Amino acid sequence: MEHHVTAAIVEDHPVVIEGIISWISADPEQRITVTQVVSDITGLAAPRAADVLILDLELGGRMISDEVTRLAASGYRIVAFSAHVEPARILDVLDAGAHAYVSKDEGRDHLIEAVLAAASDRPCVTRSQAKAILADPRPGRPALSGKERQALLLWFQGMSKASVARRMSISENTVRQYIDRARVKYATLGRAARTKDALLARAIEDGLIRPDEVATYTTLASQPRPALS
Amino acid sequence: MTGRPAPLPRPAPVPRPSAVLAARYARALDIAAVVAVAGWHLAGAGPLLVAHLGSYPSDQFQIAAWGAIALIIAAGSVLLLRGLQSRGTGWALAAAALAISTAVAAACPPDQMLATDWAWGTAGWVGVLVLLRRPLAELGVFLTLEGVATFAVLTRDGLHRSTVAAFITVLAGSAGIQLAIAVAAGALNVPARQAADAATREADVTARRAVADRIRGARRARWLELRATAEPLLQGLATGTADPGDPAVQRACAVEAARLRRLLAEGDDAPDPLVHELHACADVAQRRGVAVDIETAAVIPAVPPEGRRAITDLAIAVLVNAMSQVRVTVTGTVDGVIVSLVSDSPAEPDLPSSPVWLAVDSQRDQQSLWVEARWNTM
Repeated sequence: MEHHVTAAIVEDHPVVIEGIISWISADPEQRITVTQVVSDITGLAAPRAADVLILDLELGGRMISDEVTRLAASGYRIVAFSAHVEPARILDVLDAGAHAYVSKDEGRDHLIEAVLAAASDRPCVTRSQAKAILADPRPGRPALSGKERQALLLWFQGMSKASVARRMSISENTVRQYIDRARVKYATLGRAARTKDALLARAIEDGLIRPDEVATYTTLASQPRPALS
Repeated sequence: MTGRPAPLPRPAPVPRPSAVLAARYARALDIAAVVAVAGWHLAGAGPLLVAHLGSYPSDQFQIAAWGAIALIIAAGSVLLLRGLQSRGTGWALAAAALAISTAVAAACPPDQMLATDWAWGTAGWVGVLVLLRRPLAELGVFLTLEGVATFAVLTRDGLHRSTVAAFITVLAGSAGIQLAIAVAAGALNVPARQAADAATREADVTARRAVADRIRGARRARWLELRATAEPLLQGLATGTADPGDPAVQRACAVEAARLRRLLAEGDDAPDPLVHELHACADVAQRRGVAVDIETAAVIPAVPPEGRRAITDLAIAVLVNAMSQVRVTVTGTVDGVIVSLVSDSPAEPDLPSSPVWLAVDSQRDQQSLWVEARWNTM
């Protein structure tokens, strides 16, 4: 990650803003610079003014999940940052075109990683995302291989990727590939979005998936989604 | 992922014993009324009519009237036994019987009316039958109307002391008995209701006792179980043979405290008992300052108590050894549940021996310990 990354933050709680900035400044390599902090999406600068948008999904007590589609369509690379961890919401936000979903509980460990991954159009799977993918009840969900599923499960359970590698008797790099492949398969789902295209293109470039593995976009928006527990 | 288990079918409502008893008693009373009235018409009114055939101005009319009353009794019996009796049908049949009875009285030889009138008593019994479910006052009204009508027919040629005296005798013998029977039937209902209520109370007491016995049994089983492990520990602390400063003793105390909390949680009515009991087990570790994070994924199937017991025993063993954090995950799969714990535990936990049907696996990476239990519904 030699390229320096800029980030805009949309967040209405000062304490959370302080937290995000302190995590970013604690990064020993200082890879991220915060260029804008706003409490509402109306105040945002143009889509590519910052590489990545850290977006709180609840602003002023109102859920703005619906705005993710519009923002992703205008070209923002979004890392959703939310206290909500319901799998259905996470899948919705990913379908809408967000790059990654980081719950507030896992911000310290995964927010920086998610922002850097989004800036380079590479996948990032947090544990809350892994849980949502494992529990995806939709009939049109992407088919995951047994190994991808096992890697996701162990990652969700809280193992480090090195531990997952030891457990599965594979290299840590292969573990990353399994988990990232599962995420990339989700980029072919839902509405088309420039961010998803970029993610897929980078995945093909990186050899994570083959072009013929990219199925055509299937729209799930019109299908009823069974409720999760 | 597995679907939520289908809800248990709701048991059919069980009628209260008192209702059963009362219904049975009412049925017996109905049958007795039908038998008595039909019996009177056949064995009382019938022979009376046959004995005086030839002395009536028209025998055919008397026989037809007897047949009509028989039809009314049949209709009234069917309505009563089928539970279809109402104020309207009851009074329609009573009015028909009253009209026939009055016509029969008018068609009797005037000088021998009281001796040859077979219909008066029968009509009164019809009133008892068709007004059985009505308030007693309605039968009183009917019998009065009938008495007045018969008296009017009797005295159309003038009032004689002897006929009035004979009328009163017959009236007392028929209407009096009919009213008395109706009163007695109402009075018999009271002890029947009391018996039914007593049966209900007894059933309630029996049910409460059974529940209390089960609760007491479950409490005793839990107490015995706790006693086997907690008592030696408490004795050791009391007699000084166990040192409260010894980390092993502290861990043993933490295990017992967690097991106690779990036992209490087992009695709770929680929507997801396994997760609820895991929270109870985590409580003791959280009090020690360990951050415990419990996550669930997908739909968790119902795990029977012995399965939950084995899983939570494992969880307790890991939780008491954790230094500062534990992540507990519960994942529902197509055929069961996977519970895992990732903790920072420098010491090797003393994992309890698990039953064969619980697949337990673990892996250590430096400080980090991963323990997983898989339970299958099969």
